[in-house]
Amino acid sequence: MGVRRTRRQVRRVVALLFGAVLLFQAPPGVTAAASGDELLVGCLFPMTGRGGLYGRDSVAAIEMAVAEVNADGGVAGRRLRVLVEDSKSKPAYAVQIAERFIRRENVHFLCGAVSSAVGLAVSDVARRRQTIFVGTDHASSRLTGESRHPYYFRVSNNTRQSMAAGARYLAELQARTGWRRIGFIGPDYDYGHVMWRDMREQLDALGVDYEIVVELWPKLYEPDFTPYIDAILDAAPQILVNGHWGGDAVQFIRQAGNLELFERMRFFNFDAGGNYEVMAALGDEMPLGVVLSARHHNNWPDTEANRRFVNRFYEHAGRYPSYAAEGAYAGIKAIAQVVGEVGDPRDTDELIAALEQLRLKLPEDPEGFTSYMDPETHQIVQMQAIGEVVPNRAYPPATTMLGNWRVYDAEQLSGSGDVVHRETASPTQ
Amino acid sequence: MLTYVAIVLDGLVYASWLFMVSVGLTLIYGVMKILNIAHGSLYAIGAYTAASLVGAYFSAGYVPVLSFAVLVGAALAAGLVCGLVIERGVLRFMYGQDEVLMILVTYAIFLILEDLIKVFWGVSPYFAFQPYGMLGNFDVMGLPYAGYDFLLMGLAGLTGLGVWWSINRTRTGHLLTAVIHDREMSTAMGVNVKRVYTVTFVIGATLAALGGAFTAPKISVTPGIGVEVIVLAFAVVVIGGLGSIGGAMIGALLVGILRAAAVHLLPEVELFVIYAVMALVLAFRPYGLFAAPEARKI
Repeated sequence: MGVRRTRRQVRRVVALLFGAVLLFQAPPGVTAAASGDELLVGCLFPMTGRGGLYGRDSVAAIEMAVAEVNADGGVAGRRLRVLVEDSKSKPAYAVQIAERFIRRENVHFLCGAVSSAVGLAVSDVARRRQTIFVGTDHASSRLTGESRHPYYFRVSNNTRQSMAAGARYLAELQARTGWRRIGFIGPDYDYGHVMWRDMREQLDALGVDYEIVVELWPKLYEPDFTPYIDAILDAAPQILVNGHWGGDAVQFIRQAGNLELFERMRFFNFDAGGNYEVMAALGDEMPLGVVLSARHHNNWPDTEANRRFVNRFYEHAGRYPSYAAEGAYAGIKAIAQVVGEVGDPRDTDELIAALEQLRLKLPEDPEGFTSYMDPETHQIVQMQAIGEVVPNRAYPPATTMLGNWRVYDAEQLSGSGDVVHRETASPTQ
Repeated sequence: MLTYVAIVLDGLVYASWLFMVSVGLTLIYGVMKILNIAHGSLYAIGAYTAASLVGAYFSAGYVPVLSFAVLVGAALAAGLVCGLVIERGVLRFMYGQDEVLMILVTYAIFLILEDLIKVFWGVSPYFAFQPYGMLGNFDVMGLPYAGYDFLLMGLAGLTGLGVWWSINRTRTGHLLTAVIHDREMSTAMGVNVKRVYTVTFVIGATLAALGGAFTAPKISVTPGIGVEVIVLAFAVVVIGGLGSIGGAMIGALLVGILRAAAVHLLPEVELFVIYAVMALVLAFRPYGLFAAPEARKI
């Protein structure tokens, strides 16, 4: 009898907990629908937790872009306005926000998303609602590969591009050092898995001879990487590719430094580890010589446009930008440019055609290069610079920045051959 | 061989942490029959308090080694204040209510505390990493292990020993045991059950805060850390048996070793093993490994 009662109680507890979790997910209301003289964009960014800084930097950069556009008289006679909601980095929650943006606020465009899982979920809403979604930061190549559709465009490099650059770097390193044992640790969701797939495909395509000795998938926002670091040290790869970003990258590098990982193997993070946020958070704890990259660097390219963007962001936000800022800035600028060309923000077919032909000069473009959209995949084509961590106190509170750059050509990275052909063979409509 | 040594050590470190965060939960349930969902928030408040105080302590340039005392002080302050406010301010009005209603009450407290944490500490991460590196590393068959992790193991052992000794060798502990066995009879015998409840809840809250305070140097303290903890602590106490201190220890060891084995040998199933064990235990022993089936009073 007692056992049955306990069992009943446990069932009730579990049911209540699930109910409570569902209640906790309900999104707040958003207000103020688009008026006839506005170009309205609905953006989703994480504003709290380890991804929170990306959201806050994105919002600051959006404010800069909106001010610039409206100071120039708006877009096609319309004032640009951007709504921002906290995605909480939760796909189900973000879907509800995106639905509300479209159905209640009548936004003309969706934009944003830092997490690829959120990006995929919102992209699906965009496909169903036939609303253009401009991805500004999330990087899983799946969105412009297997899951691509006419209403999705991305204005920052994806994991295939960053891994293509990384694989070339590793191939050159193998030619010099003869390394063979490689390991990977990355977050256990679409971004991490797709990144590792992209890396292996690129290494294979380049004919790199390697043996995978460890592959680890801690969950996103893992608080303690110690057992994973022990497993890596135990497997003893010569090359460790890391797929973490934001606070996870900070936490992993800090703990790996404490456990002497960097003295035992070469460490690489080609997609997000070189984000300014990581260097700023780690300060003097940032290990010198590790090889990193990111989608935008505050000190590369050394052009007037990039210096102006970084300095203006500093004046506006009181801190130097993480790469998310430039992605969000690019997203709003891209939307403004194509609406300016087409005129009507509801003419979706014409806007898609305009976005497919987009050429947009961005702060991250070196002299002589302009970012452009690949009309087939809807993925922007950009260059990728990989650097080593070197002492540099020009961007406090960071005491290191990337330097000793190796720059990889945009066309080389945007992909050709089997991978792209396989993915573009069956687009989602 | 090295892999198995690493599994045992990693498992023990994780088990120590799990025990620290779940012992207060099971103690409160054992005495008060309240499954305290707000336990996760108390852990988070302990972590935030410790991170703030340790940051201020090092900024002021005090002696580094005493930062461990700051961690203990942070836990005591957070546990005492929050424990007393929650118990005296809310729970005491609800005693005698259905257990399920009490879960909803503590869940509401949890939600309120989660928002209060954001109001008070903001949404940016806090770091209290200085104490973590102070004890250096130990070399175990070529693998470096942080001395701080051995400190955590020792602290978990001391906590378990302290709770066991308090319950079995002190007058207050005997009163707790009497209340656990029969609240009505204890009241009839002159035991001040309400005071026992207050003391128990404050101790449980302080243990949660202690877990958070000593975890803070290992992690980045961010909003939401309490959510994960309550789910894991719930799994541990369900496996060991709700209300059983020994059960929490065995549950923590089981989950810790299995998780470490999964990380080293089969990383794809790391999360699965924790909840698979919980599901198996619930299927065959719904009252957990160490709790006895509960007879219903008529």
